[in-house]
Amino acid sequence: MPTVAELTGLYSNFMIGPRPGPDVCSQCFNFTDGFPRCYACTHGESWLDAVVPISYSVAREQLHHALAGYKRLDGEVARRLEVALAAVLWRYLAAHERCVARASGGERFELVTTVPSSDLARDERHPLRRVVGELCGPTRDRYERLLRRSGAAVPERAFSTEKFEPARTLDGHSVLLIDDTWTTGGNAQSAAAALRRAGAGRIAAVVIGRHLNREWRHNDRRLRELARPFDWGRCAVHGAPAGAAP
Amino acid sequence: MPVQDESAALVALLRNGRRPWQLYANLVEEAGSAIAVLERECGEQASLFGDPMREQIARAAAEIEAWSAEGMRLLTVLDPGFPENLRGVHDRPPLVFAAGRLEPGDARSVAVVGARMASARGLGAARSIAEQLVARGFTVVSGLAAGIDTAAHTSALACGGRTVGVIGTGLRRSYPPENAALQRRIAGEGAVISQFWPDAPPSRRSFPMRNAVMSGLTLATVVVEASHTSGSRMQARLALAHGRPVFLVATLLEHDWAREFSRRPGTHVVARAEEITAIVERLTSTGELVA
Repeated sequence: MPTVAELTGLYSNFMIGPRPGPDVCSQCFNFTDGFPRCYACTHGESWLDAVVPISYSVAREQLHHALAGYKRLDGEVARRLEVALAAVLWRYLAAHERCVARASGGERFELVTTVPSSDLARDERHPLRRVVGELCGPTRDRYERLLRRSGAAVPERAFSTEKFEPARTLDGHSVLLIDDTWTTGGNAQSAAAALRRAGAGRIAAVVIGRHLNREWRHNDRRLRELARPFDWGRCAVHGAPAGAAP
Repeated sequence: MPVQDESAALVALLRNGRRPWQLYANLVEEAGSAIAVLERECGEQASLFGDPMREQIARAAAEIEAWSAEGMRLLTVLDPGFPENLRGVHDRPPLVFAAGRLEPGDARSVAVVGARMASARGLGAARSIAEQLVARGFTVVSGLAAGIDTAAHTSALACGGRTVGVIGTGLRRSYPPENAALQRRIAGEGAVISQFWPDAPPSRRSFPMRNAVMSGLTLATVVVEASHTSGSRMQARLALAHGRPVFLVATLLEHDWAREFSRRPGTHVVARAEEITAIVERLTSTGELVA
């Protein structure tokens, strides 16, 4: 059996950890030009008490390929990607779940769930549920499939309160919401809105990759300024004081 | 639309399109069809695709048939027979050519690479690593060069194992020419893979590209003997960039680059061949994960 440390060591060579800063979106860690929030977060809905990306995922580079490939490919190669992504989530949450909880105004999360796929058919066999609900040690005992893709016609990345349906009512429970990728946040925010409707309390999202294009404005330089290899001892909200929701 | 037309459409796209090859791999995989991408590009770049699309597809289909008659099988990202491990890396080529027979079991493979001018000690290490890989059911992949590569390939064949060569030219060529005999032998007993058009000559860029494919094809890369400037060092870097483990034979640590490299996460310094197979088997098992 592979260990979490061994598998995540392999991913450290291309993961790039986001850090807060004056030119970084205070919600999703997108690069901005001095604005406190990026365009999508300024104009979109905010239902999340914290958003914490583990790494940047740069278009067409290896982490992006893994995050798309574990869903698109089949066979052993897809399963190896699944296990590696579970290891990434495991090591990160073991070290930083408390940082995430604090950034959202609490100390821990009672429930863990995943953002459903935007596509109804794909949601039925979404491998993220195996990653979070079976493979990842820190989340599997609290994991529950709280959301399903509804039949409502909503474009792939768009926000809608109707996009996802809660599976049951929640009684003020705090929820850690996991997704593989954050692009505009439309899906994660839709999921948070549905959880809220079901009665959830505090909700924070941890995403493995915050999607970026290297060619966009100064992204290439900004990415190169960030430390490599990936530092597992730090996170995007490391050391944030309790209750400091972005 | 027949599958052959999809392959032909991809060939037409790569012959005429202006985008980087890797981007076509993404576009075609995402669309699930090369014809769809070709249709889109014919619309967008009418001047590049002067001929009617059907004509281009027919011409490419005839080319594919001629390659096939010559013993060169075309495998595209849309083919189920495209090498599975290669699908898992971001810089996979949209197609490869194969001479000989690639088997599904070749996914269980490790690349063994190293210097052309190798020492007796290095050649011995390459041979014993190849033997151990074969004993544990791995296919031995290498670059068909003199020295370490030749030792790895021939040792795998000598003990009845599978071996695959990945070359930096088209399949009709051999570089350097003295490797032609070994190339024919491996095509006969295993397989030779190339991501280049059959007539493509060697170039400065083709060898690093070949190393990326060799890393992508395999579960791990072993560097036996390599200088600061070698392609093997390049392949070690590419393997880590693919999230695949790298093994450095302990004697390499006499080089500054190897000492520096050995500190990178994902790199293992090994003294015995058994360590390599044990670690690769552990890292690639997919049932469960432990803290």
